Amino acid sequence: MTSPFLRLAGVTKRYDSRGGIADVSLEIANGESVVVVGPSGSGKTTLLRLIAGLERPDAGEIWLDGRKLAGDGRNIVPANERRVGFVFQDLALWPHLTVRGNLEFVADSVGIDARARPARILDVVGLCRIDAGYLDRYPHQLSGGEQQRVALARAVISSPRLLLLDEPFSNLDQELRSTIRADLAALQRNLRITAVYVTHDVGDAETLAHRTLTIRSAAVGG
Amino acid sequence: MWGVWSSRTFVIGGAAAIFAIVCVLPMASMLWGVATAAAPISLLQSAFLDARQRRLLATTISLGLSTAALSAAAGMLLGFVLARTRVPARAALRIALVAPALLPPYVIALAWTSIAGAAAFTLFGAVVSLTTAYFPIAMLATEVGLRRVDPRLEEAALLVTTPRRVLRRISGPLVLPNVIAAALLIFVLAVSEFSVPGVLRVRVFTTEVFSAFAALYDFARATVLSLPLMLVSCAAAWAATGSGKGLIVTRRSLRHVTTDAFDGWSAAGTVLASAGIVVALIVPVSALLIEAVRAQSVLAVMRSSRDAATNSLLLASLGATAVTIVALVLGYARARTTRRVGVVLDVCWLMLFAVPSTVMGIGLIGVWNRAGAAGFVYGTRAMLLLATLSRFVPAGALAAAAIVRAVPDSHEEAAATAGAGWLRTMNRIVLPQIRTGLLAVWVVTFILAFGEVGAGILVAPPGESTLPIRVYTMTANAPPGHVAALALFQCLVVFCPLALLGFVLARQERS
Repeated sequence: MTSPFLRLAGVTKRYDSRGGIADVSLEIANGESVVVVGPSGSGKTTLLRLIAGLERPDAGEIWLDGRKLAGDGRNIVPANERRVGFVFQDLALWPHLTVRGNLEFVADSVGIDARARPARILDVVGLCRIDAGYLDRYPHQLSGGEQQRVALARAVISSPRLLLLDEPFSNLDQELRSTIRADLAALQRNLRITAVYVTHDVGDAETLAHRTLTIRSAAVGG
Repeated sequence: MWGVWSSRTFVIGGAAAIFAIVCVLPMASMLWGVATAAAPISLLQSAFLDARQRRLLATTISLGLSTAALSAAAGMLLGFVLARTRVPARAALRIALVAPALLPPYVIALAWTSIAGAAAFTLFGAVVSLTTAYFPIAMLATEVGLRRVDPRLEEAALLVTTPRRVLRRISGPLVLPNVIAAALLIFVLAVSEFSVPGVLRVRVFTTEVFSAFAALYDFARATVLSLPLMLVSCAAAWAATGSGKGLIVTRRSLRHVTTDAFDGWSAAGTVLASAGIVVALIVPVSALLIEAVRAQSVLAVMRSSRDAATNSLLLASLGATAVTIVALVLGYARARTTRRVGVVLDVCWLMLFAVPSTVMGIGLIGVWNRAGAAGFVYGTRAMLLLATLSRFVPAGALAAAAIVRAVPDSHEEAAATAGAGWLRTMNRIVLPQIRTGLLAVWVVTFILAFGEVGAGILVAPPGESTLPIRVYTMTANAPPGHVAALALFQCLVVFCPLALLGFVLARQERS
């Protein structure tokens, strides 16, 4: 049996006030698309943040592609070295940079050669079905759906090994939600990228998931 | 909603009239005086083209720019430390770092003269003293700016690059408008400052305005000298209001948020914050303490200053109360008006706050030093109260507007639909929600009024003195130990209401 691409073993993260996750274990295969569902406050977002390296686990281990990312209460591999793409719930597009600036910053940071960057940006823009005319616009000059596509483009331009999406469609109306969800499913098939979605929408799970995991207050169950 | 003839109209009208009389009229009277002078063109030429004037302007602007640059640099670093690293006892560190801003600036200048001797009596000495007093403004602006930036913007970048680069490319540019606005405000405060250049004998416009009036009794020259300073201050104030417009950040509460990314910098941040407290607070206060302990007959000096101290306490209390009331009404009107009118009011208030204290003093003399009822007021202690109002109502109104905006319109609308009148709505719905904010306005105004010297020294009637005026005049001929003892007493008085505010805030947080 091949070893899992992403493995969490007994991961716990508690906050001073409340919330977090306790003793979560899960395994995800390479190229698999997993949707994590669960009630508000059950720790879905915390799970993604731990995988991305934005939080330190209190206990447990996180492994990606055979490499230990975190264990013994500390992050062994920092967030910027994990090659993980993240689409935040509120998108977190950098407001002082244009669409091109947002994409270029990531491309530059992951070491894409300056001469190759324009072509790479156009590739990703095409892949995410963003109008190239929007490249010089600022995030606040775009509609909600366009912002969503830019956030997705920014997450995939670095060719991440793992894509994490935190309620990626929560701010969209139903029609736009269906369109972008279908586009995302196609994108994921094309890139054959391993992905973990957090959502509480059953439609998302049906369209995007190979497998659905439910997170309750304490742990994840398949 | 309330109707034109409601009590709201009369209350706002009354506050607007007071504002016009105490803040706008002095400036308008000065400008009118220049416009109607016998030879206004030659008067203006002497204000702007005279070589001596140009030198004075250059020194004044150098003082402002150097202070703004140094304060912004120090404030930005410390603001980042407080906002993004895990320093121990953050609240205590913040209070200690903000404390120098609440001391009268000339008290800090006096401390630096004890430490550095003759070297303090230079432009550089004035820059250091003013930086010590004003860097907390840039620090708080940076901290508030960073807290308003959604940490996810930084986290999104941390997935692909190092914390250092995130700071340079993401956090820095996002918080830059706050830092620029703070730097411009510090520039305005520095060029408007009278007491520090006065104590350190650095010749700038504010001290020249004072000399022209107090030493040469030349009111026309004092007025002309005020013009370039007024223009520079107003231009910077205008720019400061404009620089905030480009700020595009996620709307967030100001709760403290840290990411693990900057954890490695916490030790360095703690050292930096501690060094800031030592340099800006402990060293100056200790220097004053040592000077006071060494001096003889300190008790006699304190006893002889009792009247001035009582005067100061009374005037600062009355002034802070009057300022808070007028500012609350003006701030309410600002908060509930249209966006366009609101921006005009913001710019107007910031410009009036930027008017140097000595310039405002000259304006007040121009209005009130005349025959009739005005002349009767001019010879009384009421002039000191008017000076307090004219100096601090604009800033108070800006603060009050921000406080009132936190109460949603719908709260008033609900009261109105329930049948309540405006006064009842204010008393029962709005004021209870903003009382802590108003207490903060009162405390800060009290502290500023207690340390005010530039306008007060010009308008104080013969025989009347306040503690700051007494300290300022004593710097010319009294032993340094006596001056230091009085300055320390001022520090103590300043910290009392501050402690009260801290207590109220802490209790509110606990509940």
